[in-house]
Amino acid sequence: MIQRLIQNQRFVLAALVLAIVALLRAAPAAAEPYLAVLEGYKCNVCHVNPTGAGLRNAFGLTYAKVLLPAETLDNTLDSWDGKLADRLRVGGDLRAAWTRVTAPNTPSQQAFSLEQFRVYADLVILPDRLGIYVDEQIAPNGSQNEEAYVRYGNTTDGFYVKGGQFYLPFGWRLQDQTAFVRQVTGINMTAPDKGVELGYEHAAWSAQFDVTNGVANATTGSGYQVTTQIVYTKPIWRVGIAGSSTQSSAGDRRMGGLFAGLKTGPIAWLAEGDIVHDDSLGRSLVAGLLEGDWRLLKGHNLKLTAEYSDPDRAVRNNQETRYSFVYEYTPLPFLQLRAGYRHYFGIPQNNQQHQQLILAELHGYF
Amino acid sequence: MNSRQSRRSLPCRSAVALCVLLVAACAGNGEGLDANGQPLVPGGSAPSPLSADFESIQENIFTPICSVCHAGGSAPEGLRLDAANSYNLLVGVPSTEVPSLLRVQPGDPDNSYVIQKLEGHQAVGMQMPFGCPNTQPCLSASTIAFIRQWITNGAPPATATAAPAAVNDMLAVTSIVPDSMEPVSAPPPQVMVAFNHELDVSQLTTHSMHFEKLAAGTTSTVLAQVAARSTVSSANLRALMIWPARPLAAGHYRLVVDATSSNRFSDLAGQTVALGTPDERGQAVISTFDVEVRQ
Repeated sequence: MIQRLIQNQRFVLAALVLAIVALLRAAPAAAEPYLAVLEGYKCNVCHVNPTGAGLRNAFGLTYAKVLLPAETLDNTLDSWDGKLADRLRVGGDLRAAWTRVTAPNTPSQQAFSLEQFRVYADLVILPDRLGIYVDEQIAPNGSQNEEAYVRYGNTTDGFYVKGGQFYLPFGWRLQDQTAFVRQVTGINMTAPDKGVELGYEHAAWSAQFDVTNGVANATTGSGYQVTTQIVYTKPIWRVGIAGSSTQSSAGDRRMGGLFAGLKTGPIAWLAEGDIVHDDSLGRSLVAGLLEGDWRLLKGHNLKLTAEYSDPDRAVRNNQETRYSFVYEYTPLPFLQLRAGYRHYFGIPQNNQQHQQLILAELHGYF
Repeated sequence: MNSRQSRRSLPCRSAVALCVLLVAACAGNGEGLDANGQPLVPGGSAPSPLSADFESIQENIFTPICSVCHAGGSAPEGLRLDAANSYNLLVGVPSTEVPSLLRVQPGDPDNSYVIQKLEGHQAVGMQMPFGCPNTQPCLSASTIAFIRQWITNGAPPATATAAPAAVNDMLAVTSIVPDSMEPVSAPPPQVMVAFNHELDVSQLTTHSMHFEKLAAGTTSTVLAQVAARSTVSSANLRALMIWPARPLAAGHYRLVVDATSSNRFSDLAGQTVALGTPDERGQAVISTFDVEVRQ
């Protein structure tokens, strides 16, 4: 019954795809860590980057072609393995969306938008030892470099070093960059940093130690940020701990985070809790995330998210929460449709803390 | 239930408990707070409606919307938009994404990068506020119009800081960057000294400064000197910029005012303040910092 209903809905969804493509303008490229939790994989199983997100490796592409979508196109995509040459792998993500945002006493806004079109490239100079990775945002607006680094060492089993510009490892690398845990920590996929990373991958362990400029020091040329993360991964659960300290002319900032994943049948649970103390603001902040991803059928995922944020622990009655309901449908390889609803709750006197968001999103990737 | 079942159910129970805990967490009721979530001050006035002055823009836009991310030690692009820092980091300061444009170019909103970022026709990066238009509302055209008008008016500072200095509001240095033995991760393009009042630019020609590279572990053994020039941005008369004549290599440095030069700076009201503390040679040391060039 459910399957018939879903099949009928495919026509509606297909029409939605065409409408969105025709009006193509908007949305972000990012990771989906629930898939890693559901399958018991570490990030480097599917991604070139050992800390996840961005360019998919050979297995990641196979997963995207065969295991993720509702329908597999037999043989049609066999020739596509992401390689333009023996040692050059490329990929990309494009997300376009229609959204409607409403808030009390504020005119509602709705728009089609092209949030991001990114392309990735990885050049292997010495197999399993030396490579160059680039993540470039092509649109909207002008081209912008997100990641560009040299990598030396083995990113699947052993030590490696990255040097250049990259995203810092801290907690879940979520698809939604506006999640409270990503906003409060300031570590997300819109804020790459420059520096070096020493990483270690072995069996169930993943660890990173980063020394970077710190994004807040962009204009001062002073200060630095030290970030570290350790993750232990087992087939049905994982746990991680992360910490970061920034020295800045604005004041020092220290952060700690705990995050975990658990698979219960068809559901992947993700949780994260972070605490931040910022000397320049003179306050401590807390953020929490709980996400449940229920794979109803192959190619169908229901994502429910509850979030909590306390922007100043010393002030009472100022907490914010956010709840999301998103349905993700992957009908074909390299194509995903998402539709959802999100509601913010906060103090009554702030309209922006009571936003409601409806979204429909098209995600193409390769 | 046997022990195996009990072990299996433990993660499930934990997940359910965590779920209930987070879902049950409620938003604050806002009691005793203003619209920005800050405690109400007894006798304080209600927030003013948005108008084309900096104080109002700070109170209605920068503080509640922008400083959620643009504050503290993780402020993107180093742009801190909390009330204490926003003016000095906006007006007359080159943007980091497009350095040829000032974040706020007084009198010219079209060529002010902040306007381009808010209207969504910036050359680089995403439209602001972050998430607009997909996950939160963009600023309306009428709201941006107030910021445009403030810039068109010359982007004056808040009324309180623009007023003539009172006896209890003497000219003072509010910040020096870098300073206080601060480690610098790359050669600093300049040292910035921020004041609480606008400086009298006509007096600046009396000041002469240079950087001194010191021997490691010492406070006065000078290894080399690097000439410097000082300027004040015409767009922001409260920020004194001191530029080294050539990039500073790794090492221990201090910035000093020449012994033959005055280290007193004047504001438009004629008040003066001495910059730095004299060393054994009579030079005023403004700032001491370490350059740690990282690859």
